[in-house]
Amino acid sequence: MTANRHGSAVIEFPNDLEIVVTREFDAPIALVFDVFTKPEHVRKTIAPFGEEVKVCSIDLRVGGNYHFVFVTDDGTECSFRGTYMEVEPPTRTVETWLFDGWPDAEAVESMDLQEAHGVTKLTWKLAFRDQAGRDHMTKFDGIEANLDNVEDLLRSLLDPEGTVSG
Amino acid sequence: MARASTTSDVFNAIAEAHRREILDALMAGEKAVGAIVNDLSMSQPQVSKHLRVLSQVGLVRCRAEGRRRLYRLEPARLRPLQDWLAKYEQAWNDRLDRVDDYLQELQSKGERQ
Repeated sequence: MTANRHGSAVIEFPNDLEIVVTREFDAPIALVFDVFTKPEHVRKTIAPFGEEVKVCSIDLRVGGNYHFVFVTDDGTECSFRGTYMEVEPPTRTVETWLFDGWPDAEAVESMDLQEAHGVTKLTWKLAFRDQAGRDHMTKFDGIEANLDNVEDLLRSLLDPEGTVSG
Repeated sequence: MARASTTSDVFNAIAEAHRREILDALMAGEKAVGAIVNDLSMSQPQVSKHLRVLSQVGLVRCRAEGRRRLYRLEPARLRPLQDWLAKYEQAWNDRLDRVDDYLQELQSKGERQ
C-alpha cells in the first residue's frame, strides 16, 4: 500500500445539475465495489465523522432499496434513501438519491469504478432534477471524510495486521 | 475511521481551527446549528461534532427552541486562556518598549546627520 490519499477527492460541477467526485483507491476493483455496497462495510464508513449509524440496509438488486441513517452529535438524524436502477458488479451502480434534509432535492446517483495497475478510480455522480437541488451542494467536508473512511477501511481489509504504515 | 476528540479543556478545544471559526461565528449572538453551517464551510455533521466539544468545555451553551437547538457563546470560559496569556503580556510589552526606544534613537541620529 502506498501513502494515504486523504483529502484527494476531486470535486467538479460539469453543468448546472450535476456534481462529480473522482477519487482513487489503492485496492482492487472488486473489494472497492464491496466496500461501497455491502452493509457491513458501509456501516463503518457512511457516517463522515464517526457518528452513530442507526440504519444501514442495502438490497443490492435492480428495484431494491437502500437506507442509511446516522445521527450527528446534536441529535440530528441524517437519512439517505433510494432505489437501485442499475447494478453491475464490480463496475457500476445507479440509484435514486433522497436526503431527508433536502426534501425538495431529487437526484440520481451513480457510482462507476475502473481499475488500472492496482488502483481503482471511483467516479461518483449526483445528477439533480433541477438546479435548486444541486445548489444545496455547498459543503464537501462530509464527502471527503466519507471517502477517507472508505480508504482507511480498504487499508485495514488489505493489511489487517497494519504491517505497512500509511 | 472515527476521529476521536481528545478534548478536556479550553486550550484543547480552541486548538482546532474549525472550532475557533465556530466561536467567531457566534460572536454576533445566539445561532441555530443551521445558521452556523450556512456561515462556514463545514457540513452540519462536522459543525455538530465541534459544537459538542465546545459544549463539553463550556465555551458554548445550548438551549432548545422547539426542534431547533440554539447555541451561544460563553466568553467567560475563555478566562483560563487569558490568565495564561497575561503572564506573557508583561514580557511582550517590555520588548515593544525596547523596540520603541531603539526606533527613537535611530530617528534622532538621522535628524542629527
